[in-house]
Order: sequence, then structure tokens, then C-alpha cells
Amino acid sequence: MEKRVYEDFDGYDEMVKEIEVSRKYGVNHSAATHEADQYIRLLHPARLKLEVADIRDISPTTKLFRLVSRDRYLPPFQPGQYIALHVEAEGIRTARPYSICSSPNQTAFYEIAVRRVPGGLVSNHLLDRVERGTQLEASGPAGNFYFNPLFHDPTMVLVAGGSGVTPFRSMVLETLESALDRTIHLFYGSKTAEELLFHDEFLDLSDKYERFHYIPVLEEPPAGSTGAEGFIKGTTVLDAVGDVEGRTFYLCGPRAMYDFCIPELEALGVRRRKIRTEVYGAPLKVWETPGWPASVKPGDTFRVSLEGGGAFETRAAEPLLSAMERAGILVPSLCRSGECSMCRIRVVDGRVFQPPGVPVRKSDRRFGYVHSCVTYALEDLRIAF
Amino acid sequence: MERFDAIVVGAGNGGLTAAAGLAQKGLKVLLLERHNIPGGCATSFCRGRFEFEVALHQLSGMGSPEKPGPLRMALESLGVLDHVEPIEMTDLYSVLMPDGFRLALKAEKEATVLLLQERFPAERDAVEKFFDLCYRFANELISAFYFKDPDTSRDKYPVLYEYAFKPACEVLEGFFKDRLLKAVLSVYWGYIGLPPTRMSFAYLALLFFTYMEFKPYHFKGGSQALSNALIHRFLSNGGTVRFNCGVEKILVQEGRVRGVLTEHGDRYEADHVVSNVSQILTYVELMEPEHVPGGVFREMRGRSLSPSAFTLFIGLDCEPGAVGITETTNFLLDNLDFSDRVLNQMQALDIEDQLLVLSCYDVADPEFSPSGACQLNLVTLKYGEAWLRVPPTRYFETKYRVAESMMRRVEDIFPGVRAHVEELDVATPMTHMRYLGHPFGAIYGWEMYPKDTMFFQPGRLSPIEGLYFASGWSGDCGFQPTLEAGMSAANAIYQKISGE
Repeated sequence: MEKRVYEDFDGYDEMVKEIEVSRKYGVNHSAATHEADQYIRLLHPARLKLEVADIRDISPTTKLFRLVSRDRYLPPFQPGQYIALHVEAEGIRTARPYSICSSPNQTAFYEIAVRRVPGGLVSNHLLDRVERGTQLEASGPAGNFYFNPLFHDPTMVLVAGGSGVTPFRSMVLETLESALDRTIHLFYGSKTAEELLFHDEFLDLSDKYERFHYIPVLEEPPAGSTGAEGFIKGTTVLDAVGDVEGRTFYLCGPRAMYDFCIPELEALGVRRRKIRTEVYGAPLKVWETPGWPASVKPGDTFRVSLEGGGAFETRAAEPLLSAMERAGILVPSLCRSGECSMCRIRVVDGRVFQPPGVPVRKSDRRFGYVHSCVTYALEDLRIAF
Repeated sequence: MERFDAIVVGAGNGGLTAAAGLAQKGLKVLLLERHNIPGGCATSFCRGRFEFEVALHQLSGMGSPEKPGPLRMALESLGVLDHVEPIEMTDLYSVLMPDGFRLALKAEKEATVLLLQERFPAERDAVEKFFDLCYRFANELISAFYFKDPDTSRDKYPVLYEYAFKPACEVLEGFFKDRLLKAVLSVYWGYIGLPPTRMSFAYLALLFFTYMEFKPYHFKGGSQALSNALIHRFLSNGGTVRFNCGVEKILVQEGRVRGVLTEHGDRYEADHVVSNVSQILTYVELMEPEHVPGGVFREMRGRSLSPSAFTLFIGLDCEPGAVGITETTNFLLDNLDFSDRVLNQMQALDIEDQLLVLSCYDVADPEFSPSGACQLNLVTLKYGEAWLRVPPTRYFETKYRVAESMMRRVEDIFPGVRAHVEELDVATPMTHMRYLGHPFGAIYGWEMYPKDTMFFQPGRLSPIEGLYFASGWSGDCGFQPTLEAGMSAANAIYQKISGE
């Protein structure tokens, strides 16, 4: 066999010896692979196999579901994170994210609260069809709405609207149970008193713990009520927290609440980087979003054809992801609010609408990739994924 | 069962160029990727108004349109350059210490030599000789191997013959007395993964040569822009890609590749399969044991896993200058220790005084982040194993504790940076493991001791006929080597097919 050039290089013999020794005493890397893989599964299981252990009414429209694991393990999560429940409702396989509202100090169960939404495919399915013992599947915990000790202030101002209070319950429970060195002000906006979720529990906790302040704000307060009313205004917040410096603000609720509260907070001098917002689904009336073309009506229907064969119909007001699911096409999804990019697909041909501010990578925009959970057809389309 | 000329498993750098190269030659190619997006390491993610670059710090081998480097020529040949905007960085790197020491080297040999001579007058001659040596080494290596000189000899290539297997540290010690200077000149070990005591001088010389001759580069939109452009070329040439489609098995029959089986149960046939997956996973997970030749495990036993990384992705609500950042690439140095202690630091969970690299892409490209904002990619190398000892229930608090000590190191150099933080995400070795699938999150594939360097790598070939490797595991690691690895796998397959 011909001698290779580098065999004459200085030190070649030592290299050969080293290689021999390493092979003799080296390790079997396949074991390492399994070990590490096992650890990842403990943190980020691909799928959770759940069972409903208990269901409780917590308001006239809302039920609390307690979920346990069928394989007896639930991964740890950061308070504020959600799981996406996978269900088949009315013959459609789909998924919806629900914030975990139980304490992270135990993972014997997760709790989620489900409020009835008029026409809500999944919420109605969960409220009407699911009972104790029903088996469900979910994603592992996900999402970026949580306390980050590296740059968030230990005084947390939580602003909730409606069922947006769910991630905050988990944050409050963790802080109080673990005696964390944090102060929490929870402002909770609701239409009526009876729709306040966990109201008695929050009242009770605020009595017990000085570091927890609970301020419900009702749009339609009962006669004789002395509490805050209307929307959550800047002045309401300032009155309670004293100073906006050294506080981090967390908002979770419907878009209208963000549209109202963020300018109110900014008017108080709160910097944008101090305001954290949780994603809250696709816009309810996307056709009212700035930039929606007047020529397209919400009910207009378009044909979407798939690269590689197949086609389906969609309505202009319907996210492409939902239309695909109705057509029986499975696309992975997680946040369903435009943030996580799990449902990324490519629009090959045709005009679509994407609400402003959806975080799509710059080069994805350039090559026509969209987050299908917040993308709407404005004409007939061709897509690929 | 659908039949293809070639199937590529994994859409990381090597998989993308392999697929794009094969499709361009008119072959029928299927590219399978378990994630929903191409790129592997070469990707980005969005948080708030930021799009964070994950892995690319300084792209080597690009060169300018007037003086193209090997990578530019390769990307040009794939037709990718019409779809990306390369951005040249003028600075090589800056070294910063908490005592106020600051030194910014330029990506230009003469300027850097002058600058170092001014700063270290006692080492005047040595500085010049050292860079001459790096250049001579690189030039000799290129003419002997890249241009395949049929007639090599010690007389013709004296530097190559003498220095090819020497550790970097030994060479630096031979040239310099000043500990600070030695530390400044060895920080690129962070791009290789082994401290100067263990890293091959060959790589240090090649890094200086390629960055000075062809300049460090980045892309508008980050490395994801390159990945997307490669997929675009692949699709334009008729390629088929399936995202969210992991490969369960590579099918082998009588010692040769027959196709693949996906996680969804679909089978695809092909006589040629390119694995963009590590050899470990390819042989252990993707194949039945009876198909794997024993020699490959023996070969792998002799190798060790490179470190993973602990990374902070930081979005600031100000321009870089507002917190004192003036260079794109910054090595934060806490001490001048030049010993094997660095290996211990990399094995430990916590970050104390080890080398950090902080890249601020907005210095070279003010449009990288939104107007008036900038992003930092802050990395240190860590072996993944220590993280397996952290109970999952303590994973988050441990992650923040380690990140906190890293932030303090940054504040030592750039005080006031924390007051501008708008977004901050942390990636541990477990995060890298989760997304890359590399054992222990090893970001550089196999470790590159001199015994593992270019001359001793198994490369793209496998004893299994029809199986090719193209990744940071099949040769040198980094963007340029992996992109080139895919190109050569494509060429090898094309030659094989057209020869038949």
C-alpha cells in the first residue's frame, strides 16, 4: 500500500500510538446517547399521556380540570407555561394551548381551567364531552411567559383579563408556597363578580400573605360595590403599587385588554421592556385588524391546493391551520398564536394576510414561510409544508 | 414505494448543501428533516421583537466577490449567493479583561502585526515570525493537500512537516514570553473546543490565515437566511423536502444501502443515503446492529465527544455603543491561565473564570436587530455530562444560577448592560442536545486532539456501500467545513452515479 504523505510528518508515530491507546481504553458512546436521551425526555417529553382525575365548576362558564399522567410522570414547568391539549372534536383533530394553573411545586397533577367560548370547538368539547377518566394527550410544557430572575424585578405586577388569570395562579402559588423573595400585585379584570376565577382563593391568600396583593376590577360591579370598576386603568395600578420603577408587568388576557392597558402603563412611564405579554390565540375578528383589505369579506371562501396533491376550502376569516385541520391535514402546532413557529408552512402562490407584529423570521418572510395559525387566505392559494 | 436517486437525512449545513448539490445535478433527491425548519445549528428563533442567531459567529472562507474564498465559490456554484446577503466584518476579534485591558485585532495581517508589536514591543520580532509561520503553514497545507501536489517532500514543505501535529500551546510557548500576548493569540481555541494545551496548532494557524485572508462574514438575517436560501435552491431544482419527518431507520441489505423508513412509517428507496446525523446515532439508532461493520465502533471508541455550550441570547433596548460594545466578536478573558485547568472548567457545571465569547452582530450590521436595539450571543463551552446530574426538578433554577454568574462576567466588562435587557433566553447543553440530537449536546462533534485532526478522520465514507456522511462529525466542525462536507458528499455520489 502506498505510503501517505503525512506519515513522514514529525510526530506521526506518536499519533498512531495515541490512536491505538484511545481505541483500547475508549468508551462506548452508544450508552452515552441513551443516558442523555433519557434525561431530555424527563424535561421535554414529546407527548404527555394524561387522564382527567377530576372536574370542578369554578364559575358559571368555567371548569377546572385536574390532569394526571397515565405513565405516572409529569415534567417540571415554569409557572406561566402552558400545555397544548390534543383532541378530536366534531371529527376534527386539533389542539389548543392551556396555561397550567396549578403550583409547580408538585407535578402529581396539572390543572387547567377551560371557559366556554361561544362556538368554541375545543372548549365546548372539553366542557361537554370530557369526564372523569377521559384520556387525553398533550404537548410538554411550553411558552415563554414566566418570571426570569436574570432581568425581571422581584416586584411583579400581574394584570389579568378573564380566563387570562390562569398562568398567574401558578405564579402566585409558587411564590407564596416557596416563600420566594418576591412581592405580587394581581389586578384581575372581569365583566362580573361571578366570572372571577379563583376569587375566594386569592382573597384568602392575600389575607394570609403580606407580599400578595389582590385587586379585582369589575366592568359591571354589583350595586353598592366599593372595589375598582371599569377597565384596569393606569391610575388604579399606580394607586396600588406606588411606584412603577423596579416593577415588572405581566399581562395576560384578550387583545382588547392589551390595547387598553399597555398605553396606560406606558403613560405612567413604564418602559416597554418591563411589560411582558402572554400570547392569547389568534385575533377573534381578524378582518377588523389594521391592514385587512376592505375588498375581502370574512365569509369569502377560497380554494387552497397543496403541493404534491390535494385541495381544500377555507374562509377568509379562518386561520389556514384550522382549515387544514378541518380538511384532515395534520400540521404540528403549539401556541396557536403566531409565536412558536411550530405550524410554519410555505405559501407558494397567492396573497395571504398576517396580522402586524407576528414574530416571523426575516428570511422566512422573504421565502414565503408563514405561521399558519395566524395566516388568512385573501385569494386562492397554493401551499407546501 | 417511491424511489429516489439519493436521500439526505437531516437538513443541517451538510445535509442542505448535499441535497442542493445533488438536485442541481439533476438527480431526484429527497431531504428529510425531523424539525419544522431547515438549518440544524444554522437557525434562529424569535423572542419579542428580536430574531436571535443561534450558532454562527464568524463565517470563514467567504472572501469578497473580487477575492473569493473557497466557500464563496462553493455557494456560488450552488446558485445560493443571489439569495443571501453576506456581510463582511472588519474586526478579527477583541480581547477584553475586567482590569480594563482592551485589544481589538483587525482582520488584516499587517495591521494586526503592527498593532501587537506596538502593544508588546518586547515581542516585536516574535509577533512577525509567528504570523509568518501561520501563513506558511496554511499555504503549504493548501498546496500539498488542497491542490494535491503529487510530489511532496520535507524540503518543499518544511513547516508542514514540522508543525502538523504540534499542539498550539507548544508553538506559542516557543515564540512568546508575555503571558498576556499568548492568551490574546490563543482565544480562538473556543471555536475548536480544546484548550491551547490540547488543540492542534494546525487549526490555530488555519483560523488566522482564513479570517485574515478571506475575512470573517455573517449574513443579513443570520444563518437561517443561508439555510432558507439553500432550501430554496434545492426546491427550485426539483428537490423534495419533508419537514416534521424524522428518519427511523436507514435500510441496509447485504452491506449496501437500500433506502429509509420514516417515523410516520413511510418507506423510500434509494441506493445513496447521506447522513447529516452523527455517526453514533446513525450506527446505533438508525441501523440494525447486524448491518453495522464492527470496525466502526472500534474507530469511534478512540474518539471523545466535544464540549457542548452554555449560551445566553440577549436582546438589548439600546445600540451596542451605549453599553460600550464596539466590536462584533469579543472574547472575555478573566485570567491568563494557559493550562489543562481549562478542561476542568469545561467539565464543571458552574461558570467561574473561563473564556466567554460575546458576539454582537449589530456592530457589523446595524439592521440585524430592530432599530435602536441590538442582540448579544454569549457562549462558553461546557461538557454536557454535568447536566445529567442535575435533578430535572432543579433544572430551571440551576440554569438561572449558571446564567447569573455568566451575566456578572459580562457586567464586569460592560457595566450597566443588565439595565438594558429586554429579552434574555438561556440554552444549556441539554437544550443543544434536545434540538441537535447530538450526544451530550456536543456542538463540535468529535473532539479534535492532534490525533483526531484532518489526517486521521474517517470522513464522509462509510464501510456500508451507498452511505455517506456530511456533518461536523465526519471531519472538521464549523460552518465552512460542514457546508463543504455536504458539497463533497454530493460530488462523490454524482460521480458514482454518472460512472455507472
